[in-house]
Amino acid sequence: MAQSLIDLLRETHPDAIVSTPGHRGDEVVVVRREQLVDVCRFLKEDPRTDLKLLAQIAGVDLLTYATEATGGGALASIEVPAYDLERKRPVEPRYQVAYNLGSVVKKHRLRLRLELRSDDMKIPTVTGIWRTADWWERYIYDMFGVEFVGHPNLTRIMMYPEFQGFPLRKDYPVRKRQPLVPELDFPDLVRGPGPGPGGAGVPMSQTHVGRANVDPDAYD
Amino acid sequence: MSRLPVLKPEGNVPESQHLPPEESLPVLLTRSDEALGFFERKLSGALGWARANSLFQYPFVTACCGMEYMSVMAGRYDLARFGAEYPRFTPRQADLLMIVGTINVKQTPVLKRVYEQMTEPKWVMAFGVCASSGGFYDNYATTQGADRVIPVDVYVPGCPPRPEQVLDGLKILQEKIRSQRHQLHTVEKSREIEDADEEKKKRFLGKWLNR
Ligand code: SF4
Repeated sequence: MAQSLIDLLRETHPDAIVSTPGHRGDEVVVVRREQLVDVCRFLKEDPRTDLKLLAQIAGVDLLTYATEATGGGALASIEVPAYDLERKRPVEPRYQVAYNLGSVVKKHRLRLRLELRSDDMKIPTVTGIWRTADWWERYIYDMFGVEFVGHPNLTRIMMYPEFQGFPLRKDYPVRKRQPLVPELDFPDLVRGPGPGPGGAGVPMSQTHVGRANVDPDAYD
Repeated sequence: MSRLPVLKPEGNVPESQHLPPEESLPVLLTRSDEALGFFERKLSGALGWARANSLFQYPFVTACCGMEYMSVMAGRYDLARFGAEYPRFTPRQADLLMIVGTINVKQTPVLKRVYEQMTEPKWVMAFGVCASSGGFYDNYATTQGADRVIPVDVYVPGCPPRPEQVLDGLKILQEKIRSQRHQLHTVEKSREIEDADEEKKKRFLGKWLNR
């Protein structure tokens, strides 16, 4: 079913597609970064594709995971752990970001994938197309350090602001601990502690999108 | 003069609260000391009994252990039998902080604030291995045990602990509360006053021994 989507995409955006490494009926399109926003907008708005649901954006770090695509057998990598950089060669492009799209009406789905080299981790944001991309992109930024260019509020979403590094990268040390942090200032809507927006630290209100520029006095 | 036996506090006092023999209290009891001791014991017993049997808990429930907490509170295991009847959802009215579940680094300052908001006397129970030691969440996000930030009185292991284990932990905590000593003097005497008291005692003793 998704094969027809790929054919359609080949017709409309012939130079956006790098490859289509589908697997058992789950079709994957590897797209070029420059055309990502165009492709996404087309996939969402065209009635033939109607991929209005962005179910998830996922990040992948293939630190030393040799695959067919990156040269080397997939099974060779199982016995030596991924972070053993002395015995395994890191692969490039190292990161992948996958957009899992679906259509509720048409009952089909499609996965877009971007491949990123570790020296250039910038992606155009798709928050203008799917609003839900907002938190997903912050999540990918938080865990993998991928920078989404044009995102309205690219801050950490799960970890705290003082956290150093990106924990889901395969070369983040497994047992690394970071110091405990003091409490974050946040504007308690009733009579809260701490100075609130504009005061010390990053106010909780500004970690939520759409509230970044809201006047705290205007809350009710 | 041979050394007189050190006064042992009553009950099952934990090792850490034993008085070291050098600094232990009276060499010889005067009558007022004896009377004070008697009242102290009575008071400690009464306070311990009252406190141990009316533990209001503040459940700081963050993760899956909460299920077991519900089961412990509900009819089948019924924590109310041990006097821990009411969960209070404000720390200011609670005696026992139950840390039920995983504490991650982002949450740790909140836990600390909740602990600091509780009024004295207060006790803390770490419910499950996550609260006790981080458990198997040996990773970047989890605080490796609530005792990194606040003192914990009793650790209940298990993932999650069975209700019987929790009841056992509660009884151990009650034992600890019952055996706590309460001093009639809440204000500590200064060094000089204590020395003067010693002097007085010695003079008094000397009179007696020389007689
Ligand atoms: S100890 Fe086990 S059951 Fe309890 S919070 Fe941790 S993981 Fe969940």
